[in-house]
Amino acid sequence: MADPASPSIKKIVIVGGGSAGWMTAAALSSLLPAQSVEITLVESEQIGTVGVGEATIPDIINFNAILGIREAEFLKATNGTFKLGIQFKNWGRQGETYFHPFGPHGVDMKGIDFHQFWLRYLQDNPGSSIEDFSLSAVAAKGGKFAMPDPNPRSVLSQLRYAYHFDATAYARYLRGYAEHRGVRRVEGKVVDVQQDSESGFITGIELEGGQPIPGDVFFDCTGFRALLMEKTLGVGFKDWSHWLPCDTAQAVACERTGDILPYTISTAKSAGWQWRIPTQHRTGNGHIYSSSLMSDDEAIESLLADLDGKPLGDPRKIRFRTGHRETFWEKNCVAIGLSGGFLEPLESTSLFLIQEGISKFVALFPTADMPDVVRNEYNRQLTQKFEQVRDFIILHYKATARDDSDFWNHTRTMDIPDSLQSRIELFSQAGRVFRYEDELFSKPSWIAVLLGQNIAPKTIDPIASTVAPDDITRSLKSMKAAMDGAVTKMPSHEAFLKNYAWAQAVA
Amino acid sequence: MVASQKTLVVIGRGLAGNLAALALSNSLGPSWRIVQVGQPSTPPEDSFYGNVTAPTAYNFLRSVGLDEPRLLRRSSTAFSLGTHFKNWLGGASWMQCHHSPFATPAGAPLHHQLTRLGLDLEPLLVSAQVALAGRFAHPPSDPGSVLSRAEYGYQFDPMEWACLLDQSLQSSPVEIVECGVSEVETQAGNITALTLENGDTLTATLVIDANGPSRRESLCSGGAFTTKRTVHAQANQTSTPQTGPACQSVEASAQGWVSTAFLQDRALGLNVSAVRGNNAEQQGFNIALGQLDAAWNGNCVAIGHAAAVVEPLTPAPMMLLQRDIERLLGLIPTGVNMEVERREYNRQYRDDIAHISLFLTTLVKSDDVPDSVYWRDAQPTEPDEKLQRKLAQFEHRGLLVSYDLEPFNDEDWTILHWGKGLRPRQYDRTADAMSQVDATQTLASIRQSIEQITPRIPPHGLYVAKLKDYLERQAHG
Repeated sequence: MADPASPSIKKIVIVGGGSAGWMTAAALSSLLPAQSVEITLVESEQIGTVGVGEATIPDIINFNAILGIREAEFLKATNGTFKLGIQFKNWGRQGETYFHPFGPHGVDMKGIDFHQFWLRYLQDNPGSSIEDFSLSAVAAKGGKFAMPDPNPRSVLSQLRYAYHFDATAYARYLRGYAEHRGVRRVEGKVVDVQQDSESGFITGIELEGGQPIPGDVFFDCTGFRALLMEKTLGVGFKDWSHWLPCDTAQAVACERTGDILPYTISTAKSAGWQWRIPTQHRTGNGHIYSSSLMSDDEAIESLLADLDGKPLGDPRKIRFRTGHRETFWEKNCVAIGLSGGFLEPLESTSLFLIQEGISKFVALFPTADMPDVVRNEYNRQLTQKFEQVRDFIILHYKATARDDSDFWNHTRTMDIPDSLQSRIELFSQAGRVFRYEDELFSKPSWIAVLLGQNIAPKTIDPIASTVAPDDITRSLKSMKAAMDGAVTKMPSHEAFLKNYAWAQAVA
Repeated sequence: MVASQKTLVVIGRGLAGNLAALALSNSLGPSWRIVQVGQPSTPPEDSFYGNVTAPTAYNFLRSVGLDEPRLLRRSSTAFSLGTHFKNWLGGASWMQCHHSPFATPAGAPLHHQLTRLGLDLEPLLVSAQVALAGRFAHPPSDPGSVLSRAEYGYQFDPMEWACLLDQSLQSSPVEIVECGVSEVETQAGNITALTLENGDTLTATLVIDANGPSRRESLCSGGAFTTKRTVHAQANQTSTPQTGPACQSVEASAQGWVSTAFLQDRALGLNVSAVRGNNAEQQGFNIALGQLDAAWNGNCVAIGHAAAVVEPLTPAPMMLLQRDIERLLGLIPTGVNMEVERREYNRQYRDDIAHISLFLTTLVKSDDVPDSVYWRDAQPTEPDEKLQRKLAQFEHRGLLVSYDLEPFNDEDWTILHWGKGLRPRQYDRTADAMSQVDATQTLASIRQSIEQITPRIPPHGLYVAKLKDYLERQAHG
């Protein structure tokens, strides 16, 4: 039976709109019994959101599904497109390109990972690319898209996808969703925060004009300002900039030209990298760099030079700090989104980390006295998530042969976390990848990036050598034929979108 | 002989050695020569692998030729739906059964509804009820049948399995030398040559120490064995006219514990107690519980009892042995320098040992234990942070904390907590998404369908007999 002594949460206050605030509001309004809690979101139209064209990973589909959001409706509302992976340009070496697809490469055989067979095949077929065995990669390169087939026997079952969309429109869409479910939106700027003098718990906030908003639990969704976490509660920050030295972004949208690509492009530059995210109506771009190695003007010039359409407005500068709060949940306040931590969007994990922050809170839903036992577990789980994503992102910077700038000379030679060092060694020796449970990036993702950035295994795993090379060749050829056949039959990404979820009337 | 062939030597011909030799032989190509050395006898300590496996053993056993038809026809192996703890600490009794993921009425984990409604878990577990009724049938694949939620392992005799594996090895490429090792030559922490009792010398690329708890110092060079206590074990068997239930039973006694596993035609007993004064008069053996700090040292990998010994109160010893072998298969060294493989192997090994210990410690931890040497020594002495987190989170609000690739899954843990009488103080609010009336009805209907199906399932013995009949007819076309 529930412990009658513990008071339950009656009032939830979310400070800040944007993706983090409205995702939190939407999820809580959907998952908590309607009559039991009152949810208020405070935001000010005077304070902008970081909202740029946003790329995601497939987990976003689960988030939307839990909320009961219809995919086509959501895509129309956010100018959304499909994403089958990320193309990385100039990362391992200048002039090189590789693709990190969603979903697996090929099919494992006899309990042995597919890439081991491909590595064997490569010995006799030196031109082969592992991407030719990923349905998502093959479809992406052909500009094609289709829905995955739930039947595991179908080759289409190997397809995985996520979305690109307009983050501001997503927040607006979720606002409608949340308000419909009883979330109260209050317009206003927070001018004061009240705390209990003994416990330090936040008891309420006060808005400009004197309006008080009391609450039992507060979500800090105020972005980099971290109004409650940092300014009120003074929670420290774990800085990771020695591994991830980029600290500034210049973002600008440009006119759409050509077909809508079903993938994100990430191009490495001399002191950082540039993203290209296609939505239905325009293309989002941003140049992320280290401000100590590149001036803003240089960064803007480089950004604009590499746009493939006319810029829509002036680039917007965003400063950030890479790392995370020492605790994500302090007293009765939970940091969701940028107030909790930031990792550059190289692998499109920003919304995922918001999602994790919300879902772990719901899984650990506390009583109003916020027991330590719950808070500690939440902080442990979120810290683990951030560290896992961190290692994967650092890999992109470390595994490079680039020596054309101070930036790459630093990242190529820097010390990296032991956990990552060990993974690189295991892979470079015999292509071994060990999955850590509950890890966001699965084996195929690690393999795509390790191989893509030229960590070539010295030898194949001895246990893969029991399969005869002829059998491997036959299997791989038939896999490739099946994939090529399936992709040929797929409609183009743009045709699929126009038929399924086009935001404007088709001309 | 292939040029540049590497040699792998497996020391030991008991259950661990035979499983490893066969698994390696199936997985390594002709570039490896595999030699297995040792006297053709199963050491008595092999009974400390216990007499049950977990459901996860199924595919592994098949991969080494111990497929189910062979086990049933060629040995006295029977089915296991779990372990029945009787009169355990504080008088607790429960069926530690194997079960697929629990139902989640309206999206909330089952145990939250139980906490909310103050209901018991066991009547809702089909594998528990079927086992307690002495019955068994294979879980059907049709998810509409409540029996499809059951999972099973085997009740077995380690000596018998070692013999079956030995038969397979005789017709495999593994070279078997029927004598032990007399001398080990090492250089810079690596084994360079093994001199056998017949005078032959073997140079080895990689050595697998599967020679049980004797742990020859020169083999596990550098690996210290940490032990807190030694126990006494005595195995026995009695023939039974009828096959017993599809579950092992374990009972606490004043001096330790007693397990009984029910095979096709006999019952295997194991009696574990504290070591007593004059061993010469006792039957059985003494065995130190504990583990090597690192199981892979130099070019030698200790597996099974050579690496770690845990009490066979659960399928844990067989889980560990299987993991030892699978870990090894995933990390066959590619060169003379094995540093990378060794480090990863030992990392996974330590995690596995630590996670197995969490479960076993929880099982024996109690404020209410018999006043005897065995039970006093069995109590944990130092707090374990991982375990405290598990217990505190479950007790506080029914949260199941799990760590990387734990051998025991969430269902095992829920059943253990419940069996030992640990109940969450609160339930998760998500359980409220279903009204109290609906939740009560949903759980009642699960219980009713189990009550209805159980008497229609045949007795374990009859099921095995008929299945064997069918397999014999199949085999003879």
